[in-house]
Amino acid sequence: MSFFGFDNTLPRDRASHAPHPKQAPGFSQQRDAFAGLSQNETKEADGYDFEDTYDGLGDELDEGDDELNDETFGGSSSAAAPGKDFDFFGSTAKVANAINEEQLLYARGPKKSQPSQQVPPQQRQAKPALSYAAATKPKVVPKHQIPTEIPELKPEMSLWQNTSPEATPTTAMSAHAAVHFRHVESQEQRPQQTAAPAPTAAPGAPVQRKYKSLEEVEAEILAKKQAKLAAASQQPQQLPQPVQQIQPTQPIQLNQQDGWQGRPVQPFPQHPQMVPPHLQQIELPFPPRSIPPQQNQRPPPNDRAPEHLQRGPMPQPTGQLPFPPMQPGQPFQGNNVLFPMGMIGPGPVPGPGPHGPQFMGVPPLGQPQMIHMSDEEKTKFLEDESKRLKRNHKIAQLSRYNGLMTPSDKNFITRIQLQQLVSVNEDSFNEDFYYQVYMAIRARNNPQQPLNQFAQTYLGQQGARGGRARRQDNHLLRMQQQVQRAVAAAKARPKASQLVLEGTLGKISFSNVKTPKPLLSIKKQDSTGAAADPNQKTVHSTFAGIDRRSILAAAEDIYRSLLDLDSHERKQPGQNLAGNQPDVATVEWLETRDSLIVKLWRSMRIMEPINEESDAPHPFIAILSVKKAKEAIPRVFRYIDIEQRITILTLITISLEKVDVIKDGRYSPGECSLPAETKRKIEGFSQYVLPPLLSYVSEAQLDVITGLLGILISRINVLLLSQTQIGLAFLTMFTSRAEIIKQAGLADEEQVQNWTHTYDRLFAILEDHLLDIFPPQRAQVDDMYVWQFLASMAVGANMQQQQKMVGAVRGPVNDNVQASKTLPQEMGQQKLANTNLFLLALGLDIKELLKSN
Amino acid sequence: MLFFSFFKTLVDHEVTIELKNDLSIRGTLKSVDQFLNIKLDDIQVVDEVKYPHLSAVKNVFIRGSVVRYVHLPANAVDTALLEDATRREAAAQANKAK
Repeated sequence: MSFFGFDNTLPRDRASHAPHPKQAPGFSQQRDAFAGLSQNETKEADGYDFEDTYDGLGDELDEGDDELNDETFGGSSSAAAPGKDFDFFGSTAKVANAINEEQLLYARGPKKSQPSQQVPPQQRQAKPALSYAAATKPKVVPKHQIPTEIPELKPEMSLWQNTSPEATPTTAMSAHAAVHFRHVESQEQRPQQTAAPAPTAAPGAPVQRKYKSLEEVEAEILAKKQAKLAAASQQPQQLPQPVQQIQPTQPIQLNQQDGWQGRPVQPFPQHPQMVPPHLQQIELPFPPRSIPPQQNQRPPPNDRAPEHLQRGPMPQPTGQLPFPPMQPGQPFQGNNVLFPMGMIGPGPVPGPGPHGPQFMGVPPLGQPQMIHMSDEEKTKFLEDESKRLKRNHKIAQLSRYNGLMTPSDKNFITRIQLQQLVSVNEDSFNEDFYYQVYMAIRARNNPQQPLNQFAQTYLGQQGARGGRARRQDNHLLRMQQQVQRAVAAAKARPKASQLVLEGTLGKISFSNVKTPKPLLSIKKQDSTGAAADPNQKTVHSTFAGIDRRSILAAAEDIYRSLLDLDSHERKQPGQNLAGNQPDVATVEWLETRDSLIVKLWRSMRIMEPINEESDAPHPFIAILSVKKAKEAIPRVFRYIDIEQRITILTLITISLEKVDVIKDGRYSPGECSLPAETKRKIEGFSQYVLPPLLSYVSEAQLDVITGLLGILISRINVLLLSQTQIGLAFLTMFTSRAEIIKQAGLADEEQVQNWTHTYDRLFAILEDHLLDIFPPQRAQVDDMYVWQFLASMAVGANMQQQQKMVGAVRGPVNDNVQASKTLPQEMGQQKLANTNLFLLALGLDIKELLKSN
Repeated sequence: MLFFSFFKTLVDHEVTIELKNDLSIRGTLKSVDQFLNIKLDDIQVVDEVKYPHLSAVKNVFIRGSVVRYVHLPANAVDTALLEDATRREAAAQANKAK
């Protein structure tokens, strides 16, 4: 709304404006709004029917206080031409020229237009006193006279340009808003005045000088009124005739008759863009869709037009609604015509009726259209209306919070969410290793676990593997991939972890979800690190000193290689089942895997030469002395091939004397127990190292076993070996495997003979010291391993050897049988079972022994 | 992220949180975040006589910075895995430092 009387009307509104309330303060009368009337009356004036088109709003105007208008708004007689400071539409219209032409060409087709020479006089005439009557005329005239060619239409636009703010002062407020306001206003004031509208507006007010007075204009028009046919013109000539009646539909129909449907839009090509936002909102309740059937006959040049049409004229025909006088100074009082009307003809004046203050109400019955409607139509109309209103109400409700968040707000939230999702992205095994693997293990071990956890683990892994083709349809996975991409993009951007502002002393450190803001910033001291490093390096390269530190570092080396292999294993591309040829990814993966295995193999230092003279153990044996290295052996065995396994087994076998568990595993004379440290080592060795070795041995061929045992016998002090748990375990391992092969008949005669020969050598060494292999009598240890060894020996032994064995170990057997009677039931049974192991191998049973006792 | 990752696996296990103000709270770990803030359910203060005002509290949210120790349920910790995770973390740190 323009309080100061500036013209903020949209160009399209201008043409159709409601009669200008000439008496409105601020709207000076320098221009003769009707100066051009007489020129064109023969053509267009026929279309004017003020009785029909006037809404009577002028009646409501307050005539008072006009004396001060000049003081307030500047003397109307002053020569100063109205400034163009606020001629916004003028410049817009310039730009719109091209669009207009386009539209014209399109809409008009081959029709011939009025030659342009007719327009210049109008222009000349309009210049001194341009009213919207003058302004609207030219724009319609060419239409009416069928202009087709663009050049001919140009004057039209120039007229628009020339329209001064005063030309359409009534549009100070946007049409719809005005309607709304006015409606409210009129509702308030209606009770005060019930009489029919009288032409109370002072028509003389605007006409002060040479121009025709309002009365004159009226007279002119009225005089022609009889002669006019409604079809003569669609001219939206709106004069503030107090007695005008509005004919809302007629002009449009005329348009139709003339084939003018497309035309009215032309002057307002930029209509949608130009509607102020609030206008659009206000118009929401009347979406173009639901045009009542009655009005379908009309071409809707503008989407909204029919809506307003059906409402606009309502009060006048019924004559029920008197218009209360408008207060002077109400800037919107003149805005009785909705701007879209301008395009289609005499602007129907919106009545107060259907526009409820909130646009929510159902239109009251008794509207002129509805009066003429059949019952069905009425019902349909009302239905449509209420449906539309309901829908609009809903939209309004939903859109209430539109725009609360700015795009940057949304970005911010999105970024936070993305960061939270990072833990399931491709390097989740780096960032969240423990959780991911732990859950994976649990999922494997416990299928009954809650499904969601499993799904989480499962999806996490799927995502980590980069998605396999057959899972593409999984939308979760797809989302993960999107997240991956987004995260990758975010990571690609270098991120500073802290910001130092220029000229400040402090620095601002950032934190994110992965690296919470560090409270302590501890820097490693470079001096000590540098000192330690070269030392370590030399140790690594030569392994000269077998100090604990370098051994530990070497063990970590193994683990590093192992972890690399593990993570590489997880990246294994999906099995290509389609063809036998592995795809490129698989080949690459296998190559990398091989190189990693080589690295692992090297890190174990098994291939370093054995220094026979040195007392120092082989590097691998030295590394094996630490627990974590022992723990790594099973994992290493998963990756290395058969050859490498033999190598490890051989190396351990020939170095058994130097393996700590053998070296320290003997009971020193007089001692009943081993040091706790050694016990732990023995336990670790038998828990981690022996099983993989055993699993290999249990598949080895007899000649391998024979060879290994041969090396062992020739290089190692078997007597010493036999006095240790691990040593015996090795011997047991070999003999039992050989015996199994022998009995299964998996070896040929020569191999068996070789084995028997080696076995005999072993037996010869041990036969006189069989008692020494037992742990000290008082040592409270499980001697099962001894009996296992004896049993494995007994199985392979010939009759003679068996007799020797029985003779040698009769003492311990009897001891055990005796002890089992004094010991608690459980331990006794254990001892008996151990002993029985040996006896069974001999073909005996402990029960006979017990009976005989 | 190692500790975060680790504590995530302890969700729904019973832990005892020892705070820097010597308060020990035992309860079911409900959630933990990257700041090692901790949510405990069904809590019980270990020395309840000393802190009677907490006997009515059923669940707590503990800010990570005030935690001194977390007593872990041993059977819920995969030591070997934790070692590996530690190695990876150390390797990652070393890579970052380079």
